[in-house]
Amino acid sequence: MNGPNLVFEVAYRELRTHARTTAFKAITAFLVAAAIVGPVVVALWPDEDGARQVSIGLADGADRSLEETIVALAQGGLDVEFVPLSGRSQADTEAALASGDIDVIVDAPDTLVWDSQVDAPLAAILGAALQQRALLVRGEAYDLSENDVRQLLTPVDIADRIVDMTESSDFILAIAALGLFAGFLIPQVFGQLTLVSVVEEKSTGVVEVLLGHIHPRTLLLGKVLGLTLLAIGQILVFLAGLGAAMFATDSIDVSGSVWSFVPVLAVSLIGGLVFFNTLFALLGSLISRQEDASQVILPVVAPLMVGFIVGQLAIGGRADTTIIRVLTFVPPITPMLLPIRVARDAVAPWEVAAALSLLVLASWAMIRAAARVYEFTLLHSGSRVSWKKAWGFVRARPGSE
Amino acid sequence: MQRGCTVSISPGDEILISDGLSAHGLSKRFGDLVALDGLDLTVGRGQLVGFLGPNGAGKTTTMRAILGLTALDGGTISWDGAPMSVENRRDIGYMPQDRGLYPRMRVGEHIAYIGRLAGLSREGAADKARHWAERVGLGDRENDLIQELSTGNQQRVQLAVALVHEPTLLVLDEPFAGLDPVAVAMLSTVMAERVAGGASVVFSSHQLDLVQDLADELTIVSDGKTRVTGSTSELRRRSPTRLLRIEWDGPEPSWAPENATRLDAPPGVSVFRVPASSDSARLIAEAAREGTFASISYEPPGLEDVFLEIVAS
Ligand SMILES: Nc1ncnc2c1ncn2[C@@H]1O[C@H](COP(=O)(O)OP(=O)(O)OP(=O)(O)O)[C@@H](O)[C@H]1O
Ligand SMILES: [Mg+2]
Repeated sequence: MNGPNLVFEVAYRELRTHARTTAFKAITAFLVAAAIVGPVVVALWPDEDGARQVSIGLADGADRSLEETIVALAQGGLDVEFVPLSGRSQADTEAALASGDIDVIVDAPDTLVWDSQVDAPLAAILGAALQQRALLVRGEAYDLSENDVRQLLTPVDIADRIVDMTESSDFILAIAALGLFAGFLIPQVFGQLTLVSVVEEKSTGVVEVLLGHIHPRTLLLGKVLGLTLLAIGQILVFLAGLGAAMFATDSIDVSGSVWSFVPVLAVSLIGGLVFFNTLFALLGSLISRQEDASQVILPVVAPLMVGFIVGQLAIGGRADTTIIRVLTFVPPITPMLLPIRVARDAVAPWEVAAALSLLVLASWAMIRAAARVYEFTLLHSGSRVSWKKAWGFVRARPGSE
Repeated sequence: MQRGCTVSISPGDEILISDGLSAHGLSKRFGDLVALDGLDLTVGRGQLVGFLGPNGAGKTTTMRAILGLTALDGGTISWDGAPMSVENRRDIGYMPQDRGLYPRMRVGEHIAYIGRLAGLSREGAADKARHWAERVGLGDRENDLIQELSTGNQQRVQLAVALVHEPTLLVLDEPFAGLDPVAVAMLSTVMAERVAGGASVVFSSHQLDLVQDLADELTIVSDGKTRVTGSTSELRRRSPTRLLRIEWDGPEPSWAPENATRLDAPPGVSVFRVPASSDSARLIAEAAREGTFASISYEPPGLEDVFLEIVAS
């Protein structure tokens, strides 16, 4: 058997033993359930016609004929209840406003009484109703009948036409946000699995048996490959569940632009996984006890945090500020920022190509460096190996082992 | 001595061993500590070598160096007369002193996995795993997790892992530690079989009685240097002392031979350590003059005494 086969042997063992754990099965089951239940619940949720419930208090002097106008203007968008306030004290009505029992009071003359702030959509409808009333009254002075006035005021239906349907559709942004979350969380979860697996081999001593038969680099590559495949498998299972549920409930029609976006997301995520799994394997080779893991993980989690925070800014605000553009090229952060910038259409094609190339290069360099350190530290037990010493191993003359 | 190929049994009595393992002039430092200081070890084909030495003598370091797990500062390791290659190393069956198995793998699966890493095909590894699980007495536990086994049974798995690909060189670091008498007998048989099949086997142990019975050849090391090499009887014969043991029939005389040291003995028995140059016939005649005895023996000291003498010198 030759080298690549051995890498696959190691990867296969890694995949199998992890996929078999109860924790992994439970998490996968949970993800699939969430993927399926989410769209189904949204689809089955009782449709409330989007009607919003509002209570409008009518003060003594208010024109009761307003009610009809308001209902007409709301066009079913509001489920309006009118509360006559005659006979109630001011303190009493203000208390009702404060408690939310009443959303607004229509007072004479042409006054709207709000609790602490104006509710703009409601104010617009009530304002229009009051204007309409006033126009009817004024129209009488010009011998215009109520019907004439209504004819004059019949609103024109205005159609919205959006020229660039592809840019930052809500759906793509939602996927980018999901991608950001995945790019933040998944490398950590699977990176930790990699680290635990490396440390377990050292702490149980099985590494001594393994290295009698295979090269440390083979062991490292197999481990990273196995856990990366495991992660991809879990993501695919999740996406299959999500896709099936959305298809079954007719929740989306996927626009063509999504398909140009998905490869960037996929390459970023896989690149991130390989990069971080390797990095975590390297961290694992520096220590020999699980208890020491937290000491070495911190410097890795920092760039992930930066990426996550900046990623949120890029989703919510501008996605092409200098800082975001620069951070897109920092390999550990690329997987989180690049998909968002593509989704927001705030990136040049050369930037995508360059950032992905850098990510691939960095992953390759990372694997090589980690293999060097791995070689020197795998039989090391006891205290953790310092970063300085590890760097010395990376630069050590090949073949000195 | 010729480079790595010749071993000196005793002055003027050299045999050439070109087949098998030859480690020559191994040196290794850990910082200021000299772990190996020109150590030699030879294990011929079809030879079972006991590798002895006090704690910290360098046995484990030597074995790791043979496996290529430890980088040496100097020395050569060869197999069948040529420098040990990566392929040679992959073929070695190794049982490390700090035992190591994946706790959450199944017995059969684990043995087969290592078999595949050692170069067996999928089916071959599965067959051999079944065979060796059976052989080490765990045929009915193939589907148990390693962590569910007792320490001794885990050690049986460790042995199966070392043997699964039926290597031509077996390196066993304290394989008997922690085994019950049944397992000791099983392991002894397996080792003897491998050797009969032409394999080279080297094992370290502190259980000298076992080593004495089992090994064809001993290499005793201390402070990273090889002190002596030879069969048990040769080493005993080369001891500078002899033991004279007399079981008296009747009262025990206060007599002691010339240059002798009286050793602790039960009542009615005298045991003396005398120089190897003593004339045994004269000693027996002297003893006969001093009293009547039921039995008398004059022989080289046991392996344990030889070991202590060598290590102390
Ligand atoms: N990784 C290491 N770092 C530092 N010193 C080491 C290391 N490995 C071994 N040593 C030292 O090298 C010397 C030889 O150790 P080794 O383990 O080879 O002895 P040994 O003969 O196997 O002993 P034992 O019978 O106790 O198993 C010891 O002094 C030990 O402390
Ligand atoms: Mg040892």
